[in-house]
Amino acid sequence: MFRLGHRDEWGFQLLVNGFLLLVLIIIVIPLWRVIMTSLTPLDVYMRGGTPMFQWPWEWSFAAYEQMLTHPVFPRATLNSVIITVCGTALSLFLTVPLAYSLSCRTLPGRRIIIALILFTFLFHVGLIPVYLLVAKTLGWTNNILAVIVPPAVGVTNTLVMMRFFEGIPEEIKESARIDGANDLQVLWQIVLPLSKPILLTIGLFYAVHYWNEFFTPILYLNDQKLQPLPVLLRNILIGQTFSEYVDYDVTRAASIESLKSAAVLLTMLPMVLVYPWIQRHFTKGTLLGGVKE
Amino acid sequence: MSQYTESWRVERAARQAAKPSLGTQVRRLAIAMWKHRWYYLLLIAPLTYYLIFRYIPIWNAQIAFKEFYALKGVWDSPWIGFKHFETFFNSFYFSELLINTIIFSTAKLIFGLPIAVILALAIHESRFLLFRSLVQTVTYLPHFLSWVIMYGLLLGLLSPSSGLINEVIKSFGGNPIAFLTSTDWFRQVVVLSDIWKETGWSTILYLAALLGINPELYEAAAVDGASRWRRIWHISIPGIVPVIILVTMLRLGTILDAGFQQIWVLYSVPVYSVGDIIDTWVYRSGILDFQFSLATAVGLFKGVIGLILILAANEVAKRWAQQSLF
Amino acid sequence: MSKPKIVFKVALFALVLTLIAVACAPAPTATPVPAPTQPSAATKPAPTVAPTVPPAPKPIDTPSKPVDIEMWAQATSTQAPAPPDDWIGYKVIREKLNINLKYVIIPTGADGETKLNAAAAANALPDFFQAVSTTNARNKIIELTKQGLIAPVDDLLKLMPTRVKTHYNDPAAMDLMKIDGKQMAFVEVPNLPRREGLVIRKDWLDKLGLKSPTTIDELFAVAKAFTEKDPDGNGKNDTYGLGGFFDDTGGPGSRFAFFFGAYGVPDLWDWERMDSNFGLSVRRPEFYKALVEFRKWNEAKVIDPDWATIKRDEFRIRWPQGRYGIMWEDFAALAMAANYPKFDKNFPDGEWAPLPAPKGPDGKAYYGAYGAIGAVFAVSKKAMDAGKGPAIARLLEWMATPEGYYLCGFGVEGVNYLLDKDGVVTTEGLPDPTKAWTHESMARYTQWRNQLIFVNDPKEIKARYPDHKSIKGRTISPMAFYNFFSTQPWLNSKPGQLIVNPPNRADLQRFYNENFQAFALGTKPLNEQTWADFLKALDTNLKANEWEAAARKTLQDAGILKK
Repeated sequence: MFRLGHRDEWGFQLLVNGFLLLVLIIIVIPLWRVIMTSLTPLDVYMRGGTPMFQWPWEWSFAAYEQMLTHPVFPRATLNSVIITVCGTALSLFLTVPLAYSLSCRTLPGRRIIIALILFTFLFHVGLIPVYLLVAKTLGWTNNILAVIVPPAVGVTNTLVMMRFFEGIPEEIKESARIDGANDLQVLWQIVLPLSKPILLTIGLFYAVHYWNEFFTPILYLNDQKLQPLPVLLRNILIGQTFSEYVDYDVTRAASIESLKSAAVLLTMLPMVLVYPWIQRHFTKGTLLGGVKE
Repeated sequence: MSQYTESWRVERAARQAAKPSLGTQVRRLAIAMWKHRWYYLLLIAPLTYYLIFRYIPIWNAQIAFKEFYALKGVWDSPWIGFKHFETFFNSFYFSELLINTIIFSTAKLIFGLPIAVILALAIHESRFLLFRSLVQTVTYLPHFLSWVIMYGLLLGLLSPSSGLINEVIKSFGGNPIAFLTSTDWFRQVVVLSDIWKETGWSTILYLAALLGINPELYEAAAVDGASRWRRIWHISIPGIVPVIILVTMLRLGTILDAGFQQIWVLYSVPVYSVGDIIDTWVYRSGILDFQFSLATAVGLFKGVIGLILILAANEVAKRWAQQSLF
Repeated sequence: MSKPKIVFKVALFALVLTLIAVACAPAPTATPVPAPTQPSAATKPAPTVAPTVPPAPKPIDTPSKPVDIEMWAQATSTQAPAPPDDWIGYKVIREKLNINLKYVIIPTGADGETKLNAAAAANALPDFFQAVSTTNARNKIIELTKQGLIAPVDDLLKLMPTRVKTHYNDPAAMDLMKIDGKQMAFVEVPNLPRREGLVIRKDWLDKLGLKSPTTIDELFAVAKAFTEKDPDGNGKNDTYGLGGFFDDTGGPGSRFAFFFGAYGVPDLWDWERMDSNFGLSVRRPEFYKALVEFRKWNEAKVIDPDWATIKRDEFRIRWPQGRYGIMWEDFAALAMAANYPKFDKNFPDGEWAPLPAPKGPDGKAYYGAYGAIGAVFAVSKKAMDAGKGPAIARLLEWMATPEGYYLCGFGVEGVNYLLDKDGVVTTEGLPDPTKAWTHESMARYTQWRNQLIFVNDPKEIKARYPDHKSIKGRTISPMAFYNFFSTQPWLNSKPGQLIVNPPNRADLQRFYNENFQAFALGTKPLNEQTWADFLKALDTNLKANEWEAAARKTLQDAGILKK
């Protein structure tokens, strides 16, 4: 798809892509360093840190091996997947009806509801009030619900989705109503199919949030069998910092820095793979393909 | 003056006269509500969630005004009014905390948001699809790096004894700069590293918004002879202005959350004066010393300030861009 | 209703709420902090608690149904997980002691403390837990007692004769956790005391033809030579005389305490003056002199300037890279078989030698201040009321018996360890070396050895820190370092555990640290006037004098300070 129409097209593309290249370089260089750190063999690291470039045959996968053979790693990954899938499903299940209802400008009480929601957004009351509700009143200690349910609806995500639903032209909805559809059917048959980009985007935001949750699992989940990947990651990242008395530091095959980098990269891998997959559904104009009737 | 009040009074009287009776108003409301009954059905689940998981904790947050005893629970713990708030306001560092917090939030917003928008526009405009996807995917990766790793990266770049940047400076004959421990540079380091980390991620949203713009608008403008720049200015940007305004308003509402994780990892004693924010102070004084009521009180304070700011921003948005949250 | 109206209604709602809050405020109730009891003076020798006639050992009572006990503790190896459900230890505990033990790891650092605090707030503390605190364990116990969440354990001590002899044999330590005359927590054996010290690169000394320094001035000359004269001979200007990092343990921090110890003031508090003049070390003119000298070192660039910003992790990456000639380090982190090779591989001819405490201009020398206590464990009131106390005592007692000691500390004999002819635990001769108790994959089976099991007796120490050989065949002996370090002059700062945190502790600590570092690094001018201003600000703005007065009173009531 390379339409070279006007002469300004060349210059423009040069500018735009040059800028993108610059951004790419700025982002990639430190990222590259993290990847290299995870692959640096122990003795090279001990001699003087991570070199910026190493030949592939010099790479050492010891850090990755150590992470992947960690006894808790498979279970933790499974837990993370469960939390993410269930959490995202729940979040969308709650957010979509909310955003759709609020996008109807004629809904009586709309402003009150938005105000009430916004109020809770601003008065995030901190750790203990929520903990008292979840652990004490609801009794969800050691229960995965404590991690999934409380953060289910994000105000930012709701309002953004609401804006998108507002942007769907009234004519489409009207024509469906004339054909006899009620508001639920309009949502299900008309609005949702047209909202793939925003649903995928918001779904991605929720998924990433659930995937990276470490603090609520630390607080509520005592049973090691329930803990997700980020908790393992956090133990690796900062556990050492606090253990002053290293009774024995194991004869590792990989340095601590490599281990940290490998742990971070492994944890982010699923999210990295998900987005390009989502991107395939992000084609231009999907939103309003059906205007011309 | 009297002329103004006179005509205003006349208008008001007219409006009062035109208002229907209370009975009629109630009937109209009931009809409207019935018309929208499906929406109310949809709202049941989410609003129940809000009631339980947002409003009950707000009820629990009264511990900000109490001396909390675990055995007595929230309701029975003794009341001490604003004592916790006083502890916060009387802190020797209170004004500094407030200023630092606001500076960080504002700087991240002012510099970060335009860059994210420009990047989204650039990605949207590029004709090389493969390259575009590559840039998009790569730029959002740093969002997933934890700040603990970032600290290592930044140290490798900025350490005065061995950092990459200082090596360059030294090779030019200059004196190495201690970026992370210098009060002159710390804020820049924080803001720039945050932009580096989060821009790609923020771009996702703006890109999704751009993709939602009707392509026919672009075609029509091209047919009319509009150049690329004009098309961006008149179509792309207005198309994403609602999202930009929304995001800006919400960030203003949370202006007193300046990025605890990042600062906690990066700061150290020499830069407390420019780096200590409300949340790091609360962390050192609150949770660790068993003073949860203090932490809750500070949270409420932040909420009040956030509320005022969002209301103000909403008024501005209404006047200038005809956008409103309500 | 128009838009502004709804907005203002919400704001009004919030405002009204707050006004109601203010209007309904009754007078605050006074909540006194329980006064500490009279512990024995820290300097008296520790008599054994067990009476001369040991009580008849109570048979381990096993009721018909297993008791469920949930125990929270920090893990000895933070990167390893908890033991698996089929661990033999759980089996033995269930069959022998009739206890279903559930062990939950408390994360290290502030995460763990938050988890514990949150559980306390919800009145959901586990039966038996480690009272972790990033500041002061005693404060935590006082707070938990005040909240009524933990129970006294005096009765349980009577049920644990063996353990009392092996673990709770330091009355001074145990007394620290006595509130209102009742023992509110167990104080476990501290990790090896006084285990850190100064070391110097002997090979660099030899190369430059220098003598081992004994005073601060000599130390400065050597550090300068190390920085400037390229002692590693690689042609690059990449070495520093002294390396360290700043930790928040009070005063100059543990890494530089030796420096200030040479002037008599290694700690936050002035432990040399145990009379009515007791106060913060900064009051003493010697502290000012030490700070001036420290600043001189910084300005001469003989200290790695990153000390103010790096943390322990980074420090432990730097010294094996051969950056420092002198440093303060923990003996195990320096010399253990699994740590030393990092340095050894880079510098097979490199050699670290211990340095004695350098003497200051007045001839004083303190290696540092030592006042640590071991892990503190408490029993929740709920558990005690439910009758779980004796079961907990059973568990602890069993951990002190040889069976529990070896199983929880090392593993299974013949698989994870062997006993040599002297009865010392060793890993040589094991059929499968990957199952040695020191191997990483076995770390999960002994996760509470540091917290609850080890007792620091000579045989155990020999097992934990064996000698080994360097690449070039030299014998590296961690114990040699330890014996040197622990016999240096240390200032006893244990009474510091009694001092209660002031309400503005975070602010005071920040002010103190900020100024200390500013003066040391040279970002703030240091002279008599600025120093006096600092001390005055400490009092007027941060109320340090009030804290000192309170501390004096606490220590006087405890009989440690003369009135």
